[in-house]
Amino acid sequence: MSDFPLFSLMVWGTVVGLDLASMLQGLFNRPLVAGAVAGVILNDPMAGLRIGLALELFALDVLPVGASRYPDYGAATVAAVALSAGQAWTAALGPAVLLGLVLAHFGGLTIVLHRRVTAWALARAETALDRGDPGVAPKIHLAGLVADLLRSAALAAIGLLAAALLKHAPQLDVATQRALAIVVVAGGFVAVIGGALRRAGSPRRMVWLAGGMALGVLGLGLR
Amino acid sequence: MIGLGRTFLRLAALQASWTYERMQGIGIAVAMEPLLAPLADNIERARAARARSAQYFNAHPFLAGAAVGALAQAELDGEPGERILRLRTALSGPLGALGDQLFWAGIVPAAMGLAMLGVTQGYGLGVIALTVLGYNALRIVVTAWGLRVGLAHGLRVAHAISESWLPKAAPRAGDVAAVLIGAAVPMVAAWLLRGSGEPVRATVLVVAGAVALGVLTLRRPLSAPRLTVGAAALTLLWRWSAA
Repeated sequence: MSDFPLFSLMVWGTVVGLDLASMLQGLFNRPLVAGAVAGVILNDPMAGLRIGLALELFALDVLPVGASRYPDYGAATVAAVALSAGQAWTAALGPAVLLGLVLAHFGGLTIVLHRRVTAWALARAETALDRGDPGVAPKIHLAGLVADLLRSAALAAIGLLAAALLKHAPQLDVATQRALAIVVVAGGFVAVIGGALRRAGSPRRMVWLAGGMALGVLGLGLR
Repeated sequence: MIGLGRTFLRLAALQASWTYERMQGIGIAVAMEPLLAPLADNIERARAARARSAQYFNAHPFLAGAAVGALAQAELDGEPGERILRLRTALSGPLGALGDQLFWAGIVPAAMGLAMLGVTQGYGLGVIALTVLGYNALRIVVTAWGLRVGLAHGLRVAHAISESWLPKAAPRAGDVAAVLIGAAVPMVAAWLLRGSGEPVRATVLVVAGAVALGVLTLRRPLSAPRLTVGAAALTLLWRWSAA
């Protein structure tokens, strides 16, 4: 069915899913990190870095605050890297990033589902919880953790299945590959710049942002 | 001391039971549980403390330790239940706002900006590993600091936090993030598009177009992923119709 180390990618996809909100939140869910490790697992670290970096541009537009709904880029990136590994860069960039975006959006929907499952467990134990019965809160907490583990594993499995199916799909012609590559990179920059401008908020912060861009351009010129 | 260690570990999974009804409430109760062990002999007090500990709460997860420490200390000090619940409500907003500003809008984009710059300069996996290590070390230090401040100051924790390094550092982190993301944008554009064989002209056009679109849609933000998927679908239709 697949040309890649399924078990290792499944484990990594599940770990990064848990890292999104339930455990640690230690950057493992960031596309650049999730993609880099997936690339190492697939023995194609450059594919991991490139796809991770392209998806990171989109992820930088997301502010995961409070009760906001946000996409889950972790397992989506793992699947996108699995699709792109071993392929020429131009051929892989567009389809892999698009797969990552669709899966990340789907992952966001599963987060809402996870919260509803936990809320269901909470509703069943609400009276005992408000009475202060011992052991009730840890049970609900554990249920939430297990539900997120299953959510993350399912998301990783669906993503890897999609990547395996797409890997055997007919190749696009070179012109279409190039056009798609430009579309996804441009979309990434709309995300990262739009996000940075909104986060900046004040004119003072926008000056910092513009100063950074000027430094980046200068750095490019010096190379 | 063992209780403190268990609380610290449980803070790492604070949001596993997040719900729209109580948000982090259950996670806070689970993290507080080891600190409330001294109340075990007084069944009524322990029950009341447990019930209060699972009420609605929401803050930044890395700073929630300050609330856990302060609320547990207030319970151990025998403060009235109403005051403890008021403290819980009062801490939620500021700890959320400060943490969001420091981490989500500051340190996380700064760390990723730095890692992206490192990748474009050829440091690849090494710079990513260092970024993850440094970030997690900082996260651990901040969580431990919050827990310690909460336990030391109890009901007066809000004042202690307002006098600490935190309110000054949070906006600075955003400034650093703005510079690093700004610097990363042209570098990443060149790296990604050169890798796919596109000329420098394409890089300049893509970045300039994205900046223009970002400025134009500042007040009514676009969903970049939807825009990208939509544009890709149109590209495919155009290519297939031309074939």
